[in-house]
Amino acid sequence: MAGAIIENMSTRKLCIVGGILLVFQVIAFLVGGLIAPSPTTAVPYTSMKCIDVRKNHHKTKWLMPWGPNHCDKLKDFDEAVSRQIEANDIVFAVHIPLPNKEMSPWFQFMLFIMQLDIAFKMDNDLKENAEITLDVSLAYRDGMFDDWEEIAHAIEIRKLKCTFGSPKTLESEGRHYDCDFLPFMEIGSVAHKYYLINIRLPVNERKGINVGIGEIKDIRLVGIHQNGGFTKVWFAMKTFLTPSILIIMVWYWRRITLMTRAPVLLEKVIFALGISMTFINIPVEWFSIGFDWTWMLLFGDIRQGIFYAMLLSFWIIFCGEHMMDQNERNRLSGYWKQVGPIAVGSFCLFIFDMCERGVQLKNPFYSIWTTEVGTELAGLIFRFKFLMLITLACAAMTVIFFIVSQVTEGHWRWGDVTIQVNSAFFTGIYGMWNLYVFALMFLYAPSHKNYGEDQSNGDLGVSSGEELQLTTTITHVDGPTEVYKLARKEAQE
Amino acid sequence: MSPEYFLRSLLLIILATFSANASNWLYLAKLSSVGSISEEETCEKLKGLIQRQVQMCKRNLEVMDSLCHYYKQCMVSAESGVGLALSKYILGYLDHAREGGGTREAAFVYAISSAGVAFAVTRACSSGELDKCGCDRTVQGGSPQGFQWSGCSDNIAYGVAFSQSFVDVRERSKGASSNRALMNLHNNEAGRKAILNNMRVECKCHGVSGSCEFKTCWKAMPPFRKVGNVLKEKFDGATEVEQSEIGSTKVLVPKNSQFKPHTDEDLVYLDSSPDFCDHDLKNGVLGTSGRQCNKTSKAIDGCELMCCGRGFHTDEVEVVERCSCKFHWCCSVKCKPCHRVVEIHTCR
Repeated sequence: MAGAIIENMSTRKLCIVGGILLVFQVIAFLVGGLIAPSPTTAVPYTSMKCIDVRKNHHKTKWLMPWGPNHCDKLKDFDEAVSRQIEANDIVFAVHIPLPNKEMSPWFQFMLFIMQLDIAFKMDNDLKENAEITLDVSLAYRDGMFDDWEEIAHAIEIRKLKCTFGSPKTLESEGRHYDCDFLPFMEIGSVAHKYYLINIRLPVNERKGINVGIGEIKDIRLVGIHQNGGFTKVWFAMKTFLTPSILIIMVWYWRRITLMTRAPVLLEKVIFALGISMTFINIPVEWFSIGFDWTWMLLFGDIRQGIFYAMLLSFWIIFCGEHMMDQNERNRLSGYWKQVGPIAVGSFCLFIFDMCERGVQLKNPFYSIWTTEVGTELAGLIFRFKFLMLITLACAAMTVIFFIVSQVTEGHWRWGDVTIQVNSAFFTGIYGMWNLYVFALMFLYAPSHKNYGEDQSNGDLGVSSGEELQLTTTITHVDGPTEVYKLARKEAQE
Repeated sequence: MSPEYFLRSLLLIILATFSANASNWLYLAKLSSVGSISEEETCEKLKGLIQRQVQMCKRNLEVMDSLCHYYKQCMVSAESGVGLALSKYILGYLDHAREGGGTREAAFVYAISSAGVAFAVTRACSSGELDKCGCDRTVQGGSPQGFQWSGCSDNIAYGVAFSQSFVDVRERSKGASSNRALMNLHNNEAGRKAILNNMRVECKCHGVSGSCEFKTCWKAMPPFRKVGNVLKEKFDGATEVEQSEIGSTKVLVPKNSQFKPHTDEDLVYLDSSPDFCDHDLKNGVLGTSGRQCNKTSKAIDGCELMCCGRGFHTDEVEVVERCSCKFHWCCSVKCKPCHRVVEIHTCR
């Protein structure tokens, strides 16, 4: 990289460039802080208990909670008992949004979580590991008086995780369990104005469906969508940034091709980073305003994944180009050991994302977190997050110490004590990465306690076993090794 | 929960809380037979509302109607939450209480009623029974840019504002200068604070693959039982106050200057409670004679305390109970009848 602008520019000009970049950075913060509203909104919904009378009347199968054609409603279940209405005739209906409002494509996505109000009763207690079976359907319409069109219908099973705070005595009857909320639904585009959710809890004693789930009093949903205002500001920013990066990319590549030598690896990687940034930038989301593209959410994930993978590779190559031995320079193949795991890791995340968001394209009620594999993965992902957090913290410390060592003199004085900042930097960072590696090996070593559990994991079936293995590989083997290598190099430097 | 029902409950509240003859929210259960409030005339017929409240009732028919239902639910859950002990205790006093007594019990009733209204309206908002709610700009907290740009504010803001305008109007119409009006206003506000200060923050992560890269949090109301418990604690630690003038404004200050001043969340009262033991219609006290009590309890519902040392009768009664039932999550219950003999204790 000899002869790069950063090496030839005068300090004054460098400062000016830096200053301009800083101004843009501040502007980017201000746009979000002052113009845009908060990114998302959560809207609570309480479902209406409708009586399904369609058997008698052959009416539409969709039940509206309110409005001109609202269903025959129950105010509470005591009324159902007195009117001799059975569980199978009750439909929980939720209309999205609330009255006098309309959904809009600017909302980009909608996701819903479900909260159950389950009352304690001595002789109708919630069974351990109870599972609730939901018969759910989703419909849309664009006019207040149009017919409802079905989007999806599914039968979903969710595990109930509830605790009861008081002793289970006669006095506590009627108190509600404290239940974790359940993932309910996710859709990647909000192309219609009105949505309707109908939930049934069919009971089948012979098959043990919805038996032992306690006394359900209410079903509440929380709907989360992106705020229209935020989307607009975001799109505007994307639209503005795309040409800027594009222009600098073209300029950069032209500079490189003007030279007589072939571009070196680092230059290529920087260019690739530019391409992936542009890929994220291109505001294809504008199309979501006009078209009902439910895969936009997935597409966004993919673009983000590619960028992160590219960024990591760039860092590794950048460090390597400045640190590694002379003979390994300037070839991508020299980095396959480092870049390979990143590619594999990103690919695994992609597969995982496809497993959830991909399936959600077909069935918005699907959630990987409710399946056996999902819950197992959620454990793993926690560990992964922990690792990431510590790594980030260590990296941040390195940067801070680096800056401190650059801007200050070699030592600080505090009264009689003199602190050798530079030495502190070397010993501190060296010690930190060693501690990091030590902690990793200690924390991620197989635990005695898990021998039994490992056995049971094996029983989950082939596909789940594979997925587990994949994720384990990233966290346990490759991630730390890479960091370890880098750390060692850095320490040796 | 039909809208009619909700409104009905609100009216019941108001009825129960403010009517001169029945300032008891436990009355709700008895009053639930009031028909639906679907016409403006119904508002006129409701006793105990002052003119301003009747007007509000007419303007907000749907609110009134659904409010009634949720309010009743709230009170039922509060009753079981606070413990039947307290409710039975005040029942004896308040059944025929007149507006006169600014007691600890009255403070509790006002606080829980005003909390109930706020809670009920908020709940009705989320079920779509009310049109305005968090997006109503006439209420403080409504977002100025509208639902599409930035969503609506929390419904609780609307519920509290509604409670403020509807419940407090009665005191304010009197000029809010009398001791009692000041006390009621304070306790109304304390009731609403019991909800606001106990809101729970719940969050959901929705980044790539469910990571917390993106996280949305929202405020959820506590169960009303919890509100009831908080107010029960405030009831136990209520401050006796008297009026004092600071400048030209009248305020309530603790009677005993040794005590630290009460906060917005505390309940205050003016008069000490009458003796609930003996029948004294002049003060609206029914007495505890003939009331059912709990032999094993040491609390206020226990026979020892409730019967004021007069002792109690024990009767053996045969009751028919349902047993070996098969339940579904709703409605269908298949049981066998069982006969059982239980002991019932009543105060002499």
